[in-house]
Amino acid sequence: MKTLNILLIEDDMIEVMKLSRATTSLQLNHNIIEANNGEEALALLEQKDQLPDIILLDLNMPKINGIEFLKILKADDRLKYIPTIILTTSNNQRDLLECYKIGIAGYVLKPLKYEDYVSKIEKLLGYWSVNELITA
Amino acid sequence: MSQEEVDILKRALARERASRKAAEEILEAKSAELFELNQKLEASHKELETLYSKTNSQLQGVFETIADAYVVADVNGDIIKMNEATLPLLGIQTINDSCNLMELVKPSEYDRVYKAFNKLYREGGNISDLRVNITTIDKRDIFVQINASVIYDKERPIATQGIVRDITLENKYQQALVAEKQKYSNIIANMNLGLVEVNNDDEILMVNHSFEKISGYTESELIGKKGGVVFQVDQENDIIKTENEKRQQGESNSYELKVKNKAGEIRYWLISGGPNYDLKGNVIGSIGIHLDITELKSLEFQKEKLLQRLEKSNDELQEYAHIVSHDLKSPLRSIDALVSWLKDDNKDKLDDTSLQNIDLIQTTLVKMEQLISDVLNYSSVSSDNSEIQSVDIQLLVEDLLKMLYIPEHIEVKCMRQLPVLCGDKTKLQQVFQNLIGNAVKFNDKDKGLIEIDVEDQKDYYKFSIKDNGIGIEPQFHEKIFKIFHSLNKSKDSTGIGLSLVKKIVNLHEGKIWLESAPNIGTTFFFTLKK
Repeated sequence: MKTLNILLIEDDMIEVMKLSRATTSLQLNHNIIEANNGEEALALLEQKDQLPDIILLDLNMPKINGIEFLKILKADDRLKYIPTIILTTSNNQRDLLECYKIGIAGYVLKPLKYEDYVSKIEKLLGYWSVNELITA
Repeated sequence: MSQEEVDILKRALARERASRKAAEEILEAKSAELFELNQKLEASHKELETLYSKTNSQLQGVFETIADAYVVADVNGDIIKMNEATLPLLGIQTINDSCNLMELVKPSEYDRVYKAFNKLYREGGNISDLRVNITTIDKRDIFVQINASVIYDKERPIATQGIVRDITLENKYQQALVAEKQKYSNIIANMNLGLVEVNNDDEILMVNHSFEKISGYTESELIGKKGGVVFQVDQENDIIKTENEKRQQGESNSYELKVKNKAGEIRYWLISGGPNYDLKGNVIGSIGIHLDITELKSLEFQKEKLLQRLEKSNDELQEYAHIVSHDLKSPLRSIDALVSWLKDDNKDKLDDTSLQNIDLIQTTLVKMEQLISDVLNYSSVSSDNSEIQSVDIQLLVEDLLKMLYIPEHIEVKCMRQLPVLCGDKTKLQQVFQNLIGNAVKFNDKDKGLIEIDVEDQKDYYKFSIKDNGIGIEPQFHEKIFKIFHSLNKSKDSTGIGLSLVKKIVNLHEGKIWLESAPNIGTTFFFTLKK
């Protein structure tokens, strides 16, 4: 299994804790880089030599929201190749369509129960760690 | 008698002889002259006679073949002579019959006609275009036009000759024409529509009273002006001109126009117009009918604005529901995560009661989340993005029965084949899911029975879902369809189900009601449009 560089863009502190606790309890060795909002994430992505393998993106964020961030990302010649998976509570059909239209690698709903969350994260990261990824 | 006397006598005789001879010679010459003259006279007489007979026969020909009635009548009005055309006109049998023309004249017209002919006899000349109502011999009332002149015999008037023409029809046409014209002028003058006639240069030639009212201008203020200049608000956009040009190409059209009236108010007119032709068929301008639709237009604007606002607030509500549900669900998720960590991290330290309480917290969280989802569902039902398609209800229910949890002791039966109808599949599924779910949930019998049935009712299908469960007290029959009115506080009931069902049924132009007896069972009926 490959070790992934994961950029998690999430404003909710507990969600961040959930992902790191989940990866820890699953004994996965991935690097998680955190960005609390879109601006922070864009700043991180400025360093082109350290691009993440995949991005986990929350939709509901202050300032630049998830969809706006996604648009910026997909408009960039280099960044548009990074697989971006939406990790959200919103099952709004409009959001779903909009995201797939702009271009995403997945759309995962955050379940209520933590155990369900762990199971989803396990599958998600398992899938991406067996994928061939573009390396910088 | 003396010689002298004899000589004298002889000489006298000789003279006499000579003079007689001369006289004879003269006489002879004269006589020859006279003969010659006579000859000439005779020739010219003959010539004249031929000419006369020729002219006469020509005249006779004209007289006989003339299409109009030609009549010669004496001073009393008795017909002396007439042509064939006269017979049918006056209703006379043959050319040899006669009648008195004055007797044909209608009594009311008699004086006028008498005076006209009297004057003609006295002063000579002729009568032209005398129009008279007469009654023919065969009792027809006709209207005739008479042109007549006097015939003289040695300067003495002895008769009149005239041409009589039946103008009854022509007169009727003319009267009809006048009446029609009057009718249309009345319509134009009194109609509530403004009428404007313009020439090819868009200059106003005529407006009616209504147009004066609509525009605020008087006719005299408008004549000769260009409509496009006087009324049009937006000078850049030359609608009037372009539309008038279309009409000049013979095209009829109607269009809406924003104008300003004399008072400077903005009004909206609906203009419908067509080209105006002269007798030869050339376009000489156009005629437009104007209806002031300002009130209508403002209502339309109002409606549009309201619709926009409604759409916006609907969208906002949708958006709001999604955001609220997201914002409400997020903390629940966090609580669940935190509680499960508490539990995991302190498995050994917590006693059974505490672990149980933690489980209860998590169950409550599940219920809370369900409630939020239901509210979101309810608010989404009215949204327009539903997809109307043909839905096989039989298939839908069969799928549903596989999906729902149905305990062993409960039997669900479809009494007959369920129909295919048009609707939103997801929403229809929600209806059956809620009703069947309720029937299962509220069944307290040892052997539960749920029967699904349908009845074809012309424009509708009447569905029924019958159970033998706990039943519902009559006083709650209305209440249960209201939002948040769960009668039984159970862990998986949020009180939104039936109100959602009602909303969906109403959306499909149907009704829902129930019959129930406590402890015996409940039957829910609902109709769905075919």
